[in-house]
Amino acid sequence: MEDNKEERSAKRKQQGRFWTWVTASVLFRLILIYFPQNLNLSSRPEVSTPLTSLRRLAEGYWLKQSSMSPYAGSMYHGSPLLLSLLGPLTVKRIDGQPSHLLCSLVFVAADILNSLLIRATGQTLQIAYRQSLKSLDLDMISETMEILPSGDIAALMYLWNPFTIAACVGLSTSPIENLAIMLALYGACKRLVPLAAFGWVMATHLSLYPMILIIPIILLLGNGPDTPRKLFLLRRHGKVEENSSSDSCQQERVFSWSPVMLLILWTIMWSAYVLLLCGVSVKQYGGLWEMFTSMYGFILTVQDLSPNIGVLWYFFAEVFDFFRNFFLIVFHMNILFMIFPLAIRLHHRPCFLAFVYITISSMLKSYPSVGDSALYFGLLGWFVYELSDMKFSFFLFCVYVGVSLLSPVMHNLWIWRGTGNANFYFATAMAYACLQIVLVVESVSAMLNHDRKLRKLSSAKLQDGKS
Amino acid sequence: MAKTDRDTSKGKPRPIVRLGIFLISHSFFFSVVFSTAGVLALLLLPVLAKNTYISENSLMPGSVAPMLSDQEVAEGNRLIEDLNALKSKPLGSGIGSQRLVAQYMSNLGAEVSFHKFHRQPSQFHPLHFFSSPDSRRIEQNISCALHGVNTIGIIRAPRGDGKEAIVLVTPFNSVKVNKNEALSLGIAYSVFSLLTGVPWLAKDVIWLVADSQFGEYAAVAAWLRDYHTPVFSGVGTLDAEMCPEINNLRGMEENLFTERMTFDGFKRAGTMAAALVIKVGDRTQQYEDSLSIYAEASNGQMPNLDLINTVNYLAVHRQGLRVKVEKLWSLLNMRWLKTLGEMFELLGHYARNINPQLKFGIPAAEYIEGSATLASSLYYQALGIPTGPHGAFRDYQVDAITVEILPKVFTLGNKVRQNDFLLRSGRLIEGVVQSVNNLLEKFHQSFFLYLLTSPSKFVSVGVYMIAFALLVAPLPMVAASLYVNASNSDESMNSEKSSPSATAVDSASSPTTTDAAPLVTLSESTPLLTAADSGSLATVADSASLATAADSSRFATTADCITLSSWKWLYAAKKSFIVYLWGSVVSLLPYFICQIPSCTPTTSFIIWVLLSILGLVVMYGILASPFSDANDSKSQKEWAILKSVTLSAAFIGLCLMSIINFATAEIGGLLMVPMCLMAHPLKLDVKTRSLRTISRAVCNLVLGFIGFPPVTFIVLKGAFEGFSSINVGDFWSWVESLWAWNSATYLYIGVVHLPCWVLCIHILFHHC
Repeated sequence: MEDNKEERSAKRKQQGRFWTWVTASVLFRLILIYFPQNLNLSSRPEVSTPLTSLRRLAEGYWLKQSSMSPYAGSMYHGSPLLLSLLGPLTVKRIDGQPSHLLCSLVFVAADILNSLLIRATGQTLQIAYRQSLKSLDLDMISETMEILPSGDIAALMYLWNPFTIAACVGLSTSPIENLAIMLALYGACKRLVPLAAFGWVMATHLSLYPMILIIPIILLLGNGPDTPRKLFLLRRHGKVEENSSSDSCQQERVFSWSPVMLLILWTIMWSAYVLLLCGVSVKQYGGLWEMFTSMYGFILTVQDLSPNIGVLWYFFAEVFDFFRNFFLIVFHMNILFMIFPLAIRLHHRPCFLAFVYITISSMLKSYPSVGDSALYFGLLGWFVYELSDMKFSFFLFCVYVGVSLLSPVMHNLWIWRGTGNANFYFATAMAYACLQIVLVVESVSAMLNHDRKLRKLSSAKLQDGKS
Repeated sequence: MAKTDRDTSKGKPRPIVRLGIFLISHSFFFSVVFSTAGVLALLLLPVLAKNTYISENSLMPGSVAPMLSDQEVAEGNRLIEDLNALKSKPLGSGIGSQRLVAQYMSNLGAEVSFHKFHRQPSQFHPLHFFSSPDSRRIEQNISCALHGVNTIGIIRAPRGDGKEAIVLVTPFNSVKVNKNEALSLGIAYSVFSLLTGVPWLAKDVIWLVADSQFGEYAAVAAWLRDYHTPVFSGVGTLDAEMCPEINNLRGMEENLFTERMTFDGFKRAGTMAAALVIKVGDRTQQYEDSLSIYAEASNGQMPNLDLINTVNYLAVHRQGLRVKVEKLWSLLNMRWLKTLGEMFELLGHYARNINPQLKFGIPAAEYIEGSATLASSLYYQALGIPTGPHGAFRDYQVDAITVEILPKVFTLGNKVRQNDFLLRSGRLIEGVVQSVNNLLEKFHQSFFLYLLTSPSKFVSVGVYMIAFALLVAPLPMVAASLYVNASNSDESMNSEKSSPSATAVDSASSPTTTDAAPLVTLSESTPLLTAADSGSLATVADSASLATAADSSRFATTADCITLSSWKWLYAAKKSFIVYLWGSVVSLLPYFICQIPSCTPTTSFIIWVLLSILGLVVMYGILASPFSDANDSKSQKEWAILKSVTLSAAFIGLCLMSIINFATAEIGGLLMVPMCLMAHPLKLDVKTRSLRTISRAVCNLVLGFIGFPPVTFIVLKGAFEGFSSINVGDFWSWVESLWAWNSATYLYIGVVHLPCWVLCIHILFHHC
């Protein structure tokens, strides 16, 4: 009884602490928004890419207001829906307040919403995982898990990540793109099919690359959240051998097709709706085709070669023109090649699979920004417990700090001081890409090791039970 | 058991991993070797210096044919005489001399304009380095009474398209015309008058007569700022609105001058290819005319080496001037340097005996000269304060140097000597203008990152980086080895714990219940921990520490339990994050302290120190409470992890700084690397009481004392200037000069060096 009470008070304390931190992060953001001139974050290449820059969006809105196509002049490359959503906010000024204040507030709200979605999803994941462990008689492990509120950790990691703060204060639209992705994952975890479909359609519409998340979403809807599924099979075999009563095997689920079918239906509906809305808003200016070429064509053909933290700009600035198409295909196939092997290996952990996909696409996408990294760091928080034995964590942390400080210095050396050149900046971009590769490799191997460990423990239990 | 399992499952690790393991396991040996090699390589740099060469072909300094004749020199003389005459007149007020120069310019047919600027108070821009030069915009409270007037003459090139320009700058004080300054104006004027007539000019020539009454740099910087920020709405409206009472300048002069001189506009002439600041020094030379070159701009930036090469080539080979660069004179008489030079000479001798092809080793005297020059080059780059008005150009990516021409004794009286002097220096300037005029692109061929060991010898970035890399290489190595050791020892501790308890598996249930109590106390202490600044980090950290404590207590029974061992560093990272945060707060404090009126440097310094200590105490007390955290068996190795985090942070900081300003990083590295590497808890050292540990403790104390920035400053200053005139306030004045010039060195001291020092001291006094 007393234990219970204490536990509850501890939980409440934890809750209170969480909300304090959330408020603190909001305050911190608001303070930073009021000092925009000193930071000048919105013009940093690390923060705002041609796709996510709010300045470009304002330009597109201005073009649209003067009844020209928003895509004229290759300034704006985002969605027309975003234009009509955020556009009016870019022109509205409040006297005595920093410009773009309203937009900044929208981004702050999106960030908070993101973190709450991450938290809720993380809690769902944790509960599901604990249940499945309990059914495997690995109670003691699930008890350790209780101490690590992975949902809270993930949400706070997202909110307080300097990358997230930079993307939010630096007026890039990536918090909204992240919001769409999070809606999709949240919906899939909570089995809210329409929400999942909406999130996926919006995320794909806004930035194209989240398209590959359809696989984790289908797996989530079909199989439910992350479980060590193989163990159930093992357990069942053990039990069968043991000839005991098999009532505990009901946890084992088969892939259920009905929510997936529903998802496909909803996806079709939502995409038709989004296309309709886009069609209406760009009807006077060349129709949907122009939108497609200047949004997705722009993403896929890497037309803008201004420096960013990705690796493609440098390569396509150097490559001969007649090889360009070939390498475009090669680079984009890179992402696609990795989808299926990973899906096969990690099919029992769809949320982790989504994390891996997001990391890979933010490494190989044509215009990456720190906003993408912010999202996958947040998602990494879901698996604090599973990844607790991850190797090189300290090394990764140090190099992340180093690279994110080095990148502006190199940019300054190249652009403002003129003593460096493009190679200097590209070197940091390469280091950053390598870092993400190491992160993916290490986290996947840590996850697989964790699964192995669980299997070992459970088989040991079985042996014990037998003997 | 688990280890062997892992080994068999993984097989042999990859070669790179094996190399890493090898380095880490012998980290002590390698760190000693590497840091010694780093220091040695630094001392070897004068030997490794290469001769300079002109890398850009289109400069063609060899084909320069000077056309400057006695006629132009006579005109220059006329200007000098007029200026001197003006000085003797009582009415020769500020505007008079400018008007005179402008008159001369316009008589030559050049476009003349005046540029009025206001004196700007020095301001603190801590992040100036990361932003563009234009980002600091018009400051509000300009004192209207204080203003200077620059005079600008522009020759439009007959063959150019007006898109490029060469700038000649002659700083002179309009209030009190100096004889030397008049001489430099004479030189520039004679060149200028020649250039108005030459047919080969392809770039416009701008002659900026900078009004140096508020300092040479300020005038040039103000002109450059206005040159690069076009004002679209009306001309000079800003000035007119701000200071109406001195607007009569314009009206007064309009009646005086001819039509061609238009005063309503800021004249521009395209991008600048190069700039040359011409000065005549007042230190007269005994034997011959000579030339000093000053090149260091802010934050250790240097102009392209080709510009220095061109000036050096023309001065030495054409005009027979002696070229010098700044030296650290006090180094010249150092005994140890002399022995070192002789040693290197001897070594080079042996090397030549073995293989005559080897060109290693230079004479000892040359070595000493080279190291004195190198030391001063390092020093001025490390300060980050420009050594002259040329520094203002570097902010706009224009290569510029200051050429200070030092005349022979008695030149100033003698008419013939003066004419000869004017002719020679005028021809030098003309030659440089001709060479730069030949340029097709902006300077890019030669080096930007180099150190000079003599006017014709340099050490390039590829060579001096080796010394730095060797010096800092031990940091990550030792960090990794400490980290690995700490986690291994914990693992072994775990397994030791588990083996006795595994025998008593049956009784395992009772410890779990008893261990629940410390768990609760720990969780109650978490609000303190979580109140730390880095939210996510802190949460993860304390939950990690919690979990490690928990799983050590509860699940030590199972050998294969899941540990959070790989995240243990989070707590140390949080601690050092707080210290670094404190460091940035400390470096912001002077901004507020200097607002206090009538403060002597000493009192300001004391206030600063007190506030910093207060800040540290408050931060430690409220946020982290690192002195009072629970130290069970787990945190026995806590200092090791903290040290490894400190080392990594120092490594990152030094590497960053080496890119921003190499010289600062090199000097800082020399101070910081030994301090960081040696840091070891005194308590442990004293407990062991062997000779080695005691000497280590003494070393630590000495290094920790010297590593404190004010102490470092005082010790270095005393070593070079003698301890007699040392004052605590000096440090404040020095720091103030650093931040007034927006030097990155200031940030380095505050944000990298100071926190690192605090962490080292914390490790020294760690309770174990």
